[in-house]
Amino acid sequence: MDHRLHYIIGDFLVSLVVAMAAAALAWALVGPSWNMWLAMAVMMPLGMIVGMVIYFPLGSRLGAMEAMIPAMYAGMWGGMVVGMMAAMMPLPLHHALEMGAACGIGEIVFIWIANTILRGVTRDGKAK
Amino acid sequence: MAGYPTQAEITRAKWDRLAPRFDGMASLGAERRWKPFKTDLFSHMQGRVLFLALGTGLDIPFFPPGQDITAIDISPGMLAEAKDRIAAYPGTIRADVMDVHAMPFAPDSFDQVFTSCTFCSVPDPVAGLKALHRVLRPGGELLMFEHTGSRHLPFRAMMDMMTRLSEKVGPSMNRDTVSNVRAAGFEITEVRNIYLDVVKTIRAVRP
Repeated sequence: MDHRLHYIIGDFLVSLVVAMAAAALAWALVGPSWNMWLAMAVMMPLGMIVGMVIYFPLGSRLGAMEAMIPAMYAGMWGGMVVGMMAAMMPLPLHHALEMGAACGIGEIVFIWIANTILRGVTRDGKAK
Repeated sequence: MAGYPTQAEITRAKWDRLAPRFDGMASLGAERRWKPFKTDLFSHMQGRVLFLALGTGLDIPFFPPGQDITAIDISPGMLAEAKDRIAAYPGTIRADVMDVHAMPFAPDSFDQVFTSCTFCSVPDPVAGLKALHRVLRPGGELLMFEHTGSRHLPFRAMMDMMTRLSEKVGPSMNRDTVSNVRAAGFEITEVRNIYLDVVKTIRAVRP
């Protein structure tokens, strides 16, 4: 996790908004007549595109990789999960948005944990 | 009869096209976020310094003052945009249009080489790094701030997908720059991940 508060808040909000937007798109596109695996395959890339589209205007405030990777992941997860659920059962919009929000929060927490584990000096270098 | 453009000409044309709007694309967010890490890396500048791919000079405000720096970039358009930042630097920066694959410097010309988000875009990264190896003196240091591909599946898959789009307009997102540095004959002394294992600083020496 970045230690600067405005980046923590920004990263969190971007993930939340992107995942909810991807969830809304999945709710609009996918219905119970869809095959669940088809819904997953369609909504993963569409969710990533949603993430990319929302990232672009925000990247100038939040950074490059640090904003783009979570945005695309949040879109992928939000679209995939809500798309699969919408293929299995009739889904009210507010439930889709709640699931999207949960995906966005879960995704950014996963990224923060991964970043905490991975950042710092690696074993690639030979000590001087 | 006009021949096919060389790789250098294609690369130059690509960056010349991007130069007028490059700062808007790259400066505000990325440079602010990376400022502490770049400032820390560049604080090691000393002796005869080569800075590869100066671009529009976004990194210049992070350079320690009073250095004597030779900077190159393949794109005259980028260096034209860098003019004011070069003039404002409290030290000396000599900036020349040059392809890393065809640098006219004598062997062992520099004590240090710095790069900043460069080897995502050099067409033949190992050959480019070998060219840096040639102009560094034995014991000289290569210091890089780069974004690379990831070794971890969820991130690696995403960087591979992004590269399919990004390399059409600019950088590749999935290069294994650490391995490329090693393949060029450097001895890696430190790799420090800044964000995941995607944004990192790499320090290496020419044995």
